[in-house]
Amino acid sequence: MSLAIIGIAEVPTKRDPERTRWDMLTEVCIGAIRDAGVDKDEIEAVISVNPMAQPQMALDMALGRVPEVLGLKGCKDICVLNAGGTSTTNCLRLAKYFLENGQAKFVLIPHTTVQSDIPTQELINFFATAPLDMQWEYPYGVTFNGAMGLITNRYMHDTGATAEEIAAVTVSLRAWGALDPNSIFYGKPVTLEQVMESRMISTPLHAKECNLLADGAGAMVVTTHEIAQELGKSAAYELGHGVRFTGATPVLRKDPYFVEAYRESSQDALKQANLGINDMDLRQIYGAYPFTQCSALEGYGVCEPGEAAKIWAEGRCGPGGDLPCTTMGDATGRGHTGSGVSMAFYLETVRQLRGQAGERQVSDCNHALITTSGGSVMNTATTIFGSAPR
Amino acid sequence: MSDYKKPLPVVQPYSQAFWDGTKQNKLLIQTCGDCKATIFFPRQQCPDCWSTNLGWMEARGTGEIYAFSITYEGVEAAFVEDLPIVLAWVDLPEGIRMQSNIIECDPDSIEIGQQVEVVYKKINDDITLPYFRPIS
Ligand SMILES: [Zn+2]
Repeated sequence: MSLAIIGIAEVPTKRDPERTRWDMLTEVCIGAIRDAGVDKDEIEAVISVNPMAQPQMALDMALGRVPEVLGLKGCKDICVLNAGGTSTTNCLRLAKYFLENGQAKFVLIPHTTVQSDIPTQELINFFATAPLDMQWEYPYGVTFNGAMGLITNRYMHDTGATAEEIAAVTVSLRAWGALDPNSIFYGKPVTLEQVMESRMISTPLHAKECNLLADGAGAMVVTTHEIAQELGKSAAYELGHGVRFTGATPVLRKDPYFVEAYRESSQDALKQANLGINDMDLRQIYGAYPFTQCSALEGYGVCEPGEAAKIWAEGRCGPGGDLPCTTMGDATGRGHTGSGVSMAFYLETVRQLRGQAGERQVSDCNHALITTSGGSVMNTATTIFGSAPR
Repeated sequence: MSDYKKPLPVVQPYSQAFWDGTKQNKLLIQTCGDCKATIFFPRQQCPDCWSTNLGWMEARGTGEIYAFSITYEGVEAAFVEDLPIVLAWVDLPEGIRMQSNIIECDPDSIEIGQQVEVVYKKINDDITLPYFRPIS
């Protein structure tokens, strides 16, 4: 493993149609390059995520406008990699290949999304159909929320987790978000009663347990461990990585709430890092729906199967708890920026390892585990980062 | 029937027999002639052994609810008139799991493990959709 994240920048998650995609993209690219302390012309590759529901921007990014607009005179290559929530993870993986082969010393990975200027019904249609099978799911009125409601119900049936315990996950996620100036819910925590009394969308998921679509942007600059150390910058060093594919269609999966995928991908990543799950100071779980915060902990081996919802309900994973998880708030506690949620997860992980996470700062945070997922959790991609190289 | 606004299944050549079956109120499951797998959804080749020696068997038409979720909002406009919609994953005794809806029921009475039976709704001359309802 040789990748280190040395520069980050983010535009807070908001619904703000006044800001354009390019306006935000430019801000985060310049911000991340300045934060890295390198010259813009030292960026040798731009690897990015396309905002999939925004065709013009997707084309602009796929066909090379980013380095041109920014005047990145040393840029040798660009590439777009889309896989929903694992898009940013794919960008990091290709960046690692570029770094290891000497094709680039510094790689820029940007993301931007504006969803607030898209009519609500169009967004519903996009998010209803994007992950669905057009023959076997779509004719039955399946939505993203509906599919996740099905899985949540089965998880609760198998583990005995109650609706209140699942709702408590959202309370903790929103508590993190309330402490985060980059969250759409900054300063806006919720109570268990507010979650339980919010409108029922797809049982057992209430409105506050579903995702609020928003705008945002983020960028990072990555380099090798060696260069990061030479620069003497505070950085997040990748130490291990593992992935499992679960399947595209929820109804066909043998591992319905991904416990095995969380287990195997985290074991691969931890083995590469030569670390154990108890060495992790922070666990960042991008599942976009609250049950994943529970099944991931069970897969990682943090607790026994069926215990995780109680642990969340006791507040142990929220601010001040002994098992801090998902300080980024997940999409539920931060706002859903399409493929940008995973970008925000990596940025928050860098802040935590650098000791720059403000009121969310986990004390002595030296090792963090992060899992991202694409589509309706078609995969689990788990990465271990440390505040120092091995 | 031409005023049906909801999405119709996008039928493929190798799934045509399934939809021909539902038109005759039969639930057909693709089977592998070589490794004897039951296959859902229908494919061009057996996902277990890649055989193209594929056939069809008629399902009993009963099943058990593996998971369900009642949707109250957040659907495309064409589905609004159907709310609440009971989404379900139904396990068939033949060994496959299907996505469908539970209809002709009180949504609040639906439970995991409940026994259901297939019921057919003719949409147009080409498409009849299979749904499930509780066995009373
Ligand atoms: Zn076979």
